[in-house]
Amino acid sequence: MKVTHKPTYKPRFLVVFLKEFREALRDRRSLGLLLLFTIMYPLMLGYILNQQIKRATRPEREGIAMSVIGADKALTLMALLKQKNVTVTPLPPTSDAQIDVLLRDRKTVAVMRLPDNFTVDYAAMRPAKIELWFDSASDTDARRRDIEEILQAYSANIAGARLLAHGVSPATMAPIKLQRYDTGSNAARSAGLIGSILGFLFFPAVMCCLSSAVDSTAGERERRSMEVLMSQPAHAWELIAGKWLAAGTLSIIGVTVALALAHGILMWLPLEEIGMSWRVTSLDLALVCLVSVPLSLFAAGLQIAIAMNAKSFKEAQSMLSLIMMVPMIPGFAVSMLELKTATWMYLVPMLSNQTLLREIAKGENIAALPFVLTFASSAVAAGIAVAFASWRMKSERYVLAV
Amino acid sequence: MIEVTEVRKQFGAVQALGGVSFTARDGQITALLGPNGAGKTTLLRLLVGLLKRDHGSIAIDGVDPAVNPIAVRANIGFLTDQFGLYDRLSTREYLAYFGELHGMSGKTLSARIDEVSHLLQMDDILERRSKGFSQGQRIKVAMARTLLHRPRHLLLDEPSRGLDVMSTRALRHALAALRAEGCCVIMATHVMQEVSHLCDDVIVIAKGHTVAQGSPTQLCERTGIVNLEDAFVSLVGTDEGMLA
Repeated sequence: MKVTHKPTYKPRFLVVFLKEFREALRDRRSLGLLLLFTIMYPLMLGYILNQQIKRATRPEREGIAMSVIGADKALTLMALLKQKNVTVTPLPPTSDAQIDVLLRDRKTVAVMRLPDNFTVDYAAMRPAKIELWFDSASDTDARRRDIEEILQAYSANIAGARLLAHGVSPATMAPIKLQRYDTGSNAARSAGLIGSILGFLFFPAVMCCLSSAVDSTAGERERRSMEVLMSQPAHAWELIAGKWLAAGTLSIIGVTVALALAHGILMWLPLEEIGMSWRVTSLDLALVCLVSVPLSLFAAGLQIAIAMNAKSFKEAQSMLSLIMMVPMIPGFAVSMLELKTATWMYLVPMLSNQTLLREIAKGENIAALPFVLTFASSAVAAGIAVAFASWRMKSERYVLAV
Repeated sequence: MIEVTEVRKQFGAVQALGGVSFTARDGQITALLGPNGAGKTTLLRLLVGLLKRDHGSIAIDGVDPAVNPIAVRANIGFLTDQFGLYDRLSTREYLAYFGELHGMSGKTLSARIDEVSHLLQMDDILERRSKGFSQGQRIKVAMARTLLHRPRHLLLDEPSRGLDVMSTRALRHALAALRAEGCCVIMATHVMQEVSHLCDDVIVIAKGHTVAQGSPTQLCERTGIVNLEDAFVSLVGTDEGMLA
């Protein structure tokens, strides 16, 4: 039979890519983990911010409901409480156990009891006892403090009136006056929070390609299929490129999903309520996703270049787990050293993406250069990683170790 | 046709091949005999251009694998000592992958997969994923991959290991058919019975050198020993090699 050479329809790197990608998609367990990891973070972020918003918008004074036993003994105090927006529910004389039940069922924030001798003591200018029952295990602490403040103000008022009646200035009672100034705004606090949170949205770039990068290099060596593959009529760079693109694609999907999900959540949340805003438009976000593509490809390339030197899946995993956190270090360093955003930051992969998104989120006007630098810095690094991996695969030492 | 002349290969201080010369002709099955560690794997890797020789020349249909490995590999079916299957791919997908790497596609490819599967009697495992395959099933899949692109040259490293009687017969028929088609087959093996039944030519290498080349009958005549196995031991120079 005559041997015929058919023309190559599919580039070989594409053949390798399709096979590796299909294999990765069939690895249900690691795929499930990736999905979880990718969507869990934005969801968590949304949940935490939502809680903050809820807390910030909770009506503070409204609805302080307090039960009072013996309300008719201190009508002025009751009027003051009402004036301070505390709803007073008079109660008939109640036992300690019943008060306990009332508080445990959260029917009331606190129970105030004026003992029978209150009127007598008050008239005789003896300290008149007022009992305040509350449950410190419940989350009504702030409202209980409000009530105590009202009581203290009431007490100080009466003391002042009594001193005045004796010809003493009430000012004697207040040798100092404390005035508090809080310059921290909600907006500033939340902006710091959101800035540090955004950095993690790029973590899937490192995470999602891991399994495929390891499986298609160290895993292939472990299963002893690498030599077979290398004996096929394909250049080392074609094999590496296919494996690299398969791993990189998973990362690209991961980062894009994480960013899009976070964007959707942040747009949907009423961030204005906590003095923040999400000024990133969908176009901005699409651009950020686009310039983050090389970041994913760089992570995949680097992991392949490292994992291919390991003899087994396990060895590669432990090698890579050491460097997994490295890309996050510049981001942490910059925020810890409180460095001002500078152009060089756009030259460091990962840090550049984080900085870019943070600056956009701050509402800064970003020129084209940061986008270009972010894209190019990772793209160049990815190229170097892949070139190194291809060179390594061709080397005789590698062939012998396979 | 595969022509090897005075090929040497050294790894550091270890001389893997110290001078190997032979010619494997088209339409013949050439056995590569040698004790473990004789340099067979290194020789096969040199032939497909995975390693570069230090000295000598190799020509596969006139092409030097060190100069143009891609062209050489396109025309070689290489069955290594490892099968290299992928657990998450079915046999058909596995074969399609390697077929596409050889530039095959579409109907031609799937027809050829069916043909090879039929030839090796492995239709029952064609659509199954290779996880849990037996040794025999694995080597069949690997053998199918080796034959898929109709290579002119076959380099087979112990192709019959782990095969049952029926499969061994199927393999022999396949090899005989390839010989009839004019393929050049080099088969490393330790089974003397296979050599005397199937092979037209025998190359004996020991300690990195070609010790002898000739038909099984010629080797027996040369050593003056009737039994091929004894002749082999005598050529290698020690019976330790077979035990190693």
